[in-house]
Amino acid sequence: MWVLILSEMLVFSAFFILFAWQRAQEPALFNASQQLLDPVAGGLNTMVLLTSGLGAALAVQAIAAGNSRRCRQWLTLTMVLGLVFCVIKIIEYADKLGAGLTPETNTFFSYYYLLTAFHLAHVVFGLGLLALATWHNSRENVETVTAFWHMVDLIWVMLYPLLYLLR
Amino acid sequence: MDKHLPDDLPGQSRLLKTWLMLMALTLFSMWSAQLSDESRALSLPIWSVALVLLSVGFKVQQILMVYLNLRVSSAGWRGGFLCLLAVTILLVGLGYWSAKG
Repeated sequence: MWVLILSEMLVFSAFFILFAWQRAQEPALFNASQQLLDPVAGGLNTMVLLTSGLGAALAVQAIAAGNSRRCRQWLTLTMVLGLVFCVIKIIEYADKLGAGLTPETNTFFSYYYLLTAFHLAHVVFGLGLLALATWHNSRENVETVTAFWHMVDLIWVMLYPLLYLLR
Repeated sequence: MDKHLPDDLPGQSRLLKTWLMLMALTLFSMWSAQLSDESRALSLPIWSVALVLLSVGFKVQQILMVYLNLRVSSAGWRGGFLCLLAVTILLVGLGYWSAKG
């Protein structure tokens, strides 16, 4: 699992560095485009995902202590918060697309859609894995799936300031 | 619950403290990024960029060590992840710094 997590982090890190250096070529364009994003919605989504990470960690604790029912409850909470993240993200997409801001608008929005959609695909995949682990909640399954979920969590923690805060 | 944990998993109080710290650091990052309408039109000063990046680096380190429990893994894995994190933050920071030059 560590190999998968490290590989995913390497791919995202390469994109983050590319984004920062691309921004250095066109700082005015990136700053003006960033103003069209909602940093509060992004911050809210960060808190939602961090809280779902806590649920995932508590699910591992519960299954390690032999409490299968409590583990399922924590995993369900984790999934609900993951779904809340997806809903907020989809509302953001709808708002941006409704305002005519598409991946073809400019370089900033190409990165915005590429990075956030790639991350969202990981969230959706992670939700599927969490559902499987809720169903077959052996300790090994729960540990593996929650490790993937924490990786999704930490990638967003890095992505949020790059797209929404730093200028 | 902590008393019944069979191995070196982080305890419930440690998980909750880490979560509180992560939430507080998220709010701190938002504050550091000066999100008022007037400020958003301007580039951030370099110290503000540094504060946001340091806060992000610390948050990721906490997720790795506590949530992912990397602290009980081998020194090689710990070093690999922390090196990647440090290099990423450094190169992103240099990108922002070079844009100001």
